[in-house]
Amino acid sequence: MTSTELTAPVPAIDEDPVLELVGVRAAYGAIEVLKGVDLQVPAGSVVALLGPNGGGKTTTMKVVSGLMPTTAGEVWFAGRNVTGITATEASRLGVCSIPEGRGVFANLTVRENLWVATGTGARLADLEEAAYARFPRLADRRGQLAGSMSGGEQQMLALSRALGTDPAVLLLDELSMGLAPMIVSEMYDIVGGLAAEGISILVAEQFARVVLPIADTAALMLGGRVVKVGRPADVEDELSTTYLGG
Amino acid sequence: MTLFMTFTVLGLVLGAVYAIAASGLVLTYNTSGIFNFAHGAQAMIGAFLYYQLQAVWGVPTIVSVALMLLVVGPLMGFLLHRFVMGGLRDTAEVTKIVVTVAILLGFVALSQWAWDPQEARMSKMFFGADSYVTVRGVTIRYHEIICLLAAAGIAVGLRLLFTRSRMGVLMRATVDDPDLLRLNGHDPERVAGLAWALGSTLAVLAGILITPVAGGALEANALTLLVIDAFAAALFGRLRSIPRTFVGAMVLGLTSTYLVAYAPSEWTWVTNLRDALPMIVLFVVLLVLPQDRLRGAAVRTRERYEVPTVRRAAVWAVVMVVATVAFRQLIDDSSVGTLILGLSFAIIALSLTVLTGYAGELNLAPVSFGAIATIVAFHSGISGTGLAARMNLVGLVAGVLAAAVTGALVALPALRLRGLYLALATLAFGGFVSSMVLRETQTRSWFGHDFAIFPNGNLIVSPLAVGPLDFADQNTFLYSAAAVFAVLGVGVVALRNSGYGRRLAAMKDSPAAAAMLGQRLVRLKLSVFMVSTAIAGLGGIFMSMALTSVTSEHFVYVLSLSLVMLTVVGGIGYVSGALFGGLLAGGGFTLVVGTFNELSIEHPVHAETFGILSHSFLVMTALVGIGVAQNPSGNFFEIFHGQRTLARAPEVRYTALAVTVLLYLLAYAEVIGTWTFGILVVVLWQALPALGRALRPDRLLSQDELAARAATPLELLGVDTPYPDRLGERLDRELGLPARHRQVTPVQSVVIAADHSSRPEEGVRHVTV
Repeated sequence: MTSTELTAPVPAIDEDPVLELVGVRAAYGAIEVLKGVDLQVPAGSVVALLGPNGGGKTTTMKVVSGLMPTTAGEVWFAGRNVTGITATEASRLGVCSIPEGRGVFANLTVRENLWVATGTGARLADLEEAAYARFPRLADRRGQLAGSMSGGEQQMLALSRALGTDPAVLLLDELSMGLAPMIVSEMYDIVGGLAAEGISILVAEQFARVVLPIADTAALMLGGRVVKVGRPADVEDELSTTYLGG
Repeated sequence: MTLFMTFTVLGLVLGAVYAIAASGLVLTYNTSGIFNFAHGAQAMIGAFLYYQLQAVWGVPTIVSVALMLLVVGPLMGFLLHRFVMGGLRDTAEVTKIVVTVAILLGFVALSQWAWDPQEARMSKMFFGADSYVTVRGVTIRYHEIICLLAAAGIAVGLRLLFTRSRMGVLMRATVDDPDLLRLNGHDPERVAGLAWALGSTLAVLAGILITPVAGGALEANALTLLVIDAFAAALFGRLRSIPRTFVGAMVLGLTSTYLVAYAPSEWTWVTNLRDALPMIVLFVVLLVLPQDRLRGAAVRTRERYEVPTVRRAAVWAVVMVVATVAFRQLIDDSSVGTLILGLSFAIIALSLTVLTGYAGELNLAPVSFGAIATIVAFHSGISGTGLAARMNLVGLVAGVLAAAVTGALVALPALRLRGLYLALATLAFGGFVSSMVLRETQTRSWFGHDFAIFPNGNLIVSPLAVGPLDFADQNTFLYSAAAVFAVLGVGVVALRNSGYGRRLAAMKDSPAAAAMLGQRLVRLKLSVFMVSTAIAGLGGIFMSMALTSVTSEHFVYVLSLSLVMLTVVGGIGYVSGALFGGLLAGGGFTLVVGTFNELSIEHPVHAETFGILSHSFLVMTALVGIGVAQNPSGNFFEIFHGQRTLARAPEVRYTALAVTVLLYLLAYAEVIGTWTFGILVVVLWQALPALGRALRPDRLLSQDELAARAATPLELLGVDTPYPDRLGERLDRELGLPARHRQVTPVQSVVIAADHSSRPEEGVRHVTV
C-alpha cells in the first residue's frame, strides 16, 4: 500500500509526465471502482497496467480516454489539468484509445472505418497509406465490412488508427483478448515499433508476459488502486507471488 | 393504353411520396436505432403548418416551402433529438416505441388544438390542379412532376450521403457504437441531431407533397396514418437499404392505383382493400423477411420490475374490488358507465402486462383484437330480441377464443423476428381491421351463410347474462368487471410466478440463452401472444357491452396507441400499471374532458380557460408518455419503492388509512365532492413517503441520512467541525490548485496514504452497496 516513486527510466525530473492521474476515484452508480488511483506515464515510455479481473484497469482506461467521469482526483495531460474532459475533446488533444474488445465499427467497411478515424484531423489518404503499408491484408479488404473480418484483422484495423493519426498518448486495453498467440505477438511488435517512434503508451493487459518485454514501467492494480509501480521484472515477480500464488 | 399510362403515372407519384416518407424513416432508424412511429405525425404537422403559412397567412408559396424545409423541419428534428430521442439510449425496444407513439399522440392532440377538426381545410397542389402538361394523352400535373423529381433527388442524395460523404459514414457509425465515435474525436450527439433534423425535414416534405395527392383534405388522423403506410415501403428495404425502399414504395403506389383501375366492378370492397393495401403488403413482407440472428449478449436496459407473490396479489385484488364497491357509492348513476368502460380497458391493458411486461413483446393494436372478439360474440352469442336481448356465455367464450386464434395468426409470421417487427405486424393488423373488417357493413355470402360482418356499421352489443348475473344492471356489471379484472390480475401474477412465467422472463432477458437452455422460443412466444390476445378479446367484449352500441370509431388506432402508452407510463410490468392505463384511457379522458365541458357551460366566462385546460390535458398526457424515456420502469415502480420504505413505520400507513376512511365518510355525507375526495386521496398517498420521513425520521432514515441531517450547516464547516478531506479536495479543484503538489511534500503524502486506508466513510459506503 505504498506509492513508490518511479524507479524505471525517469525523464528529466522537472519535465511533466505526458499523462498523470492523481487520487482518481470513479464509480458506477453506488459502486466505487477506482479508489484513488495514482499513475504516471512519462513522455516516450511504455507503461503496462497489470492486474487481475476487476482490478480497475479498464475503468482507469475509460477515465483517461474521457468516457468515464471521475468523482474525485485529477487527470493531467502534459502539464494541463484536464479533469472532466469529454472523450471527444481528449481524442482531439491527442489521446488515442483502442478500447477493450474490437475497436472497430462492425457495420462499416475497412475504408469507412479509417474515414471515421479522421475525426482528429488526419487525412484519409495518409491514414490509408499508413494502414495498408503496415497491414497489406487490410488493403485487400478495404471494401469489406469490418464485422465480417477475423478477430486479428479487426484488431489490425483498430491499431491502424494509432498508426495514422500520430497521437501523443496511446491507450491500449486488452489488445490480446480473443486473439491467437501469434497474432498477439505480432500486435505487440507493432506497439513496440510505435513506442520506438516516441509515442507514450499506456497498455492494460491481463496476460502480463506478452507486454512486459516492451514495457519500461509496470504498474500493478488491485482493488481499485495502483499498489506497486516498478521495473517490469519486479512487478511480474510480485504479480505471480501475490496474485497467482507463486 | 392511355388509361394504363395515366394510372402508371398516378401510381409512380404516390410511390414517390411514399418513398420520401419512408426514406426519412430509414434514415432516422439507421442513425439512432429508433423506429420513429411519430414520422407520420411529423408529416401531418408539416402539412398543417404549411397550410397555415401559405393559405391562411398568405405567405408566397416558395417562401413557405423554404421556411418549412429549411427552418421548421430541421428545428423539429433537432428539438426532438435534443429533448427526447437522445435520452433513449440503453432502453428496451418497447420504451423506444412507446416514446415515439407518445410523440405521435401529442402531435395529433396539438394539431387538433391549434386547428379545429370540425373545420374543413383543403391543401392545394403547387401551381394549382390546373397546371399540367399532356404527354401522349396522359395528363401530368406540375405538382406530380415535382413529387417525382423530389423523390429522385432524395434517392440520389441519400445514396451519396451514406456512401460518399464522411457525415453519412459517421451517421451509420453512431448506431454501431457512439462511444467509439467519441474516441475518434467526433460528437455522436451532433451527428445524431443532424440525422434527426434531416429525417424530420423529409417527413415535412412528404406531408406537404402527399396531402394534395391524397385528395387534399387536411385531417390529422388520416394524414398521420397515410405516412404510416410508408412503413411497408421501408420494410421492403429491411429498414436499411434506401434503393430497395424506393422500389417498395413504387410497388405500393402502382398496386394501389392499378387496383382502382382494373379491379372488376362487382368487387365493391376494392376501396377498402386499397386503404388496407399497405398494411397487407407490410404483413407479406414480414412473412418473407429472413430470420434474425439471435443476439448473444443480453442487452442491459434500464427497465426494472419486481414480481409480487400470489398471496400479496390476492390481497390487493380484494382491496381493489372493495374499493370499487365503496367508490360506486360516491358517484352518481350516470358516471358508472364511464367507470365500467375504464375497467374494461384495464382488462385489455392486462393483456399488455403479460405480453410486454413479462415476455417483452409488443402489441400495438390490442383494441382491434377486442373488435374481433366483439364481432364473433355478437354473431354467435346474442339471444332474445329488443331490450330482452342478452349475450350468453357461449358468445363470450367464442369471442375470446376467436381473439386468441386471430392473435396466433397475426403473430406467426413475425415470431421469428425481433420485437419491432411483431409490433409492426400488430399495427398492420389494426389497420387491416379498421379499413377492411369494420367496413364490411353489407350482407355477403361467407362460407355458405349470408350475413354482414359489421351490419350497418353499428353493432348493438347486448349485456351478458349468466345464471343470476345480469349485466343489464349497471351495478352488477361494474362489480363483475372489477371482479374479473381482480381475478385475471391474480391469475397473471400466478402465471408470472410459475415455471412458464420464468421461461418468459428468460426469453425477454436473453433469447439466445433461453434457446440454448432448450426453450422453444416460437412456441413460447406464440402461446403468450394467444393468452394475451384472449385477455384483450375479453376486455374488448366488456368494452362493447359497456358502450352498448359500437361503431368502427370505437376501435381506431389512436385508442390502442394511447392505451399502450398509458400502460407503459403506469408500469407495464405491473397489474396496477394496467389498471392505471386502462382507467385513464377508457374513462379518464372522457371524464376530464367532460368535466371541463360541463364547467365551461356552468361558467361561460371561463369557457376559454377550461377549453385550454382540456386540450392541454391531452397534450400533457403525451408529454408524460415522452417522460417514459427518463423513467422507463413506469410510475408505479417509483410509487411502490416509496411506499415500501414506510414498512418500518407502520403507524404512518395506519394514519393515512384512517384519514382516507375519514375523507370517504365526508364524501359519502356529501360534505366534500367526489373530485375533491379523489384528488386528496391521491395526493395523500403520493406524499406519504415524504410525510413519513418528515414525521418519523428516526425510523425511516438510514444512518447516513440521519448523519447528513445532523451535519453542521455549510457555513460553519471548519469552524464547528473539522474540515472534511473530500471538501478540501473539491475546493482545491475549484480554485485550480493542483492536487499532486499537495502530495509531493513527503510529510503530507504519508498522512494521506494512511488516511486512505482508514477512511471511516469508506466503510459506510460499502455497507450501502
